[in-house]
Amino acid sequence: MNQIFLQFLLGIMFLTIVFLHLSKKNFSASIAYGIQSLVIVLFFLNSFFETNNLAILLVVFLMLIVKVILAPLFFIRLIKKNALAFSVSTYLNTPLTIISIAILTFIAHYQKFSPLTSIVPANQDSLSLALSAMFLSLFLIINRKGALSQILGVLSLENSIVAFVIFAGLEQNPALQIGIMFNIGIWILIATIFMSMILKHFGTLNVSSMNNLKG
Amino acid sequence: MEILFIFTTIIITIAISIFVKRRSVIEFFSVLTALVVLFESGAIALKVSSVGNYTPFGLFSVDSLAVIILLVISFINLTVAIYSIAYLRQETAKNIIGFTRVRQYFTLLNTFLLAMILAIGANNPILAWISVEATTLSTAFLISFYNKPSAIEGAWKYLIINSVGLLLGFFGTMLYFTAVKFPDESGLIDWQLLLNSASQLNPVVAKIAFVFVLVGYGTKVGLAPMHTWKPDAYSKAPNPIGALLSGALLPIAFMIILKFKRITDAAVGQGFSQHLLIVFGLLSIVIAALIMFNALNYKRLLAYSSIENAGVMALGFGFGGMGALAAILHLIYHSLVKGAMFFSSGNLLLKYSSARIANIKGATNVAPITSTLFIVGFLVVTGVPPFGIFLTKMQILSAGIESYPLISIIALFFTLLVFVGFLKHTLAMFFGEKPKGIEVGENNIWLILPPILLLTSIIILSFYIPSFLSALINDASVIYK
Repeated sequence: MNQIFLQFLLGIMFLTIVFLHLSKKNFSASIAYGIQSLVIVLFFLNSFFETNNLAILLVVFLMLIVKVILAPLFFIRLIKKNALAFSVSTYLNTPLTIISIAILTFIAHYQKFSPLTSIVPANQDSLSLALSAMFLSLFLIINRKGALSQILGVLSLENSIVAFVIFAGLEQNPALQIGIMFNIGIWILIATIFMSMILKHFGTLNVSSMNNLKG
Repeated sequence: MEILFIFTTIIITIAISIFVKRRSVIEFFSVLTALVVLFESGAIALKVSSVGNYTPFGLFSVDSLAVIILLVISFINLTVAIYSIAYLRQETAKNIIGFTRVRQYFTLLNTFLLAMILAIGANNPILAWISVEATTLSTAFLISFYNKPSAIEGAWKYLIINSVGLLLGFFGTMLYFTAVKFPDESGLIDWQLLLNSASQLNPVVAKIAFVFVLVGYGTKVGLAPMHTWKPDAYSKAPNPIGALLSGALLPIAFMIILKFKRITDAAVGQGFSQHLLIVFGLLSIVIAALIMFNALNYKRLLAYSSIENAGVMALGFGFGGMGALAAILHLIYHSLVKGAMFFSSGNLLLKYSSARIANIKGATNVAPITSTLFIVGFLVVTGVPPFGIFLTKMQILSAGIESYPLISIIALFFTLLVFVGFLKHTLAMFFGEKPKGIEVGENNIWLILPPILLLTSIIILSFYIPSFLSALINDASVIYK
């Protein structure tokens, strides 16, 4: 895959995070995460074509199963089972959210971050975009009141970091990547179980309703 | 191969906890595993003190600081295993939990132990990250153990805040890898290779990377302002798990920060990382002291005490030199005393069925030994002479008084405030008239022995440190100065 196509894919990944900010429906948010993860899978597939390392193909396979297929399926099953069509509201309204997204994207492209984004000078634009994606994912976790949105924010942050790592040429040994994937898989499973528990105990996924702990 | 023996034993015990349906068998193997881990850790410690780093295979290596933490964790884990049996039996008798929960508890406890030991010895920063993340995953269900709304809330905050923190730590870790041009054949980058390549690191990238690592692993340590999960998680987890979270997990995350500090120092000099540690350390002491004064729950009080002590350790490593040596000693004392305090507070919880300070009155009349243990623990942890923490706090502050007089004085003032706040709550809980309906008498000898064991070891270590341990502490303080 050529560089322009990889940058195009990164652009799609960035847009999925913007979409996660604006989406009002849990189903479409889950699908957006699946698409975002598919982009990461394609990045790794590109690494496989470049290196012919079969271990990377195994990483691609695992990632496809865990992040592209299983994770969205878990979330969609939970959404359907509990009739959670609409996501919980945000702390900032939509216009303010869009303004914040624009500001965070601008900050990531700001000169102050050039030591990070010029790790590979040829990929400076892509690294800036990956950094923006990281900032937006963090903002998603903070701005959304819904447990599912927070989970998607954490997973998007992980995807954004992986994208940054790939464009910075810092990919690690496939064995370690499998270890990381294993962790992410368990994390998704645990987070989904916790969502069910939150629903059972609080009757909503709105985390702002969780205010038992004080003092 | 001591470490393989440790891993094998723990994995067998996890399997037994999952598949065996006899409670006594699970309990027996948990204690046996704890004994094996302690014995083998002792053997590793002796090796490291005499011949240096213990590296049984490429991915696993422990230096002097790591082996000190391994030893502390193994010891606390043994007391936790013993205490947990009696504690969970009491809870079963009160119909709070059933056998399934007990099985789940020991499975997760041993998984947590395995993840912690892996994190201590991981010779690769990514493997260390995977192991620390595994500690989060294995403890999340231990925090929500009682399946109450407040426990779910505590566990959710723990999961989300720590996961975000660790992802930021992961990003920082990856930034350090920009220094390494030619990884070895396996493509694995170990700590030593990172350290050797530190001069290749762009200074600005090194600084940004350390900020991310400090924020990331600092979240796990519980340094302010990333501490918010800690009181919630500690107050909802079963008490023995609180002992492990505070006494075992905190030093591991701290050790990883110190490993990155070494690399950062080699790239940009000591000033940058030291200043950051001082800022986070002081902030942790101040915030903990202010909140402790008005704490409503004694388990949360212990959590804030952990935040304060993490701050003291951060100050020690920030001041460097003598401060680093004292910080390592402080780390040992704090882990042991916090274990004892979580155990004695667990005994109070069993007696009073409440963790609210306002509901605990006249505890010295109700459970005199437990009360004595808690009060001694309070004296130790707040740094009252002649206990070790008094000396380490004084050494840390005197290490900083020359270069950072104002910070040292502020830290001294707030550690005194911690003492006053803690004293206020201790007086309220342990003296006065006991509430009606509370049965007088200690619960069970096995609920008393573990905290006695921990407090006795602190008292001994306050006055006498075995030569092998002293050698390890000195070596670690030179490496992580």
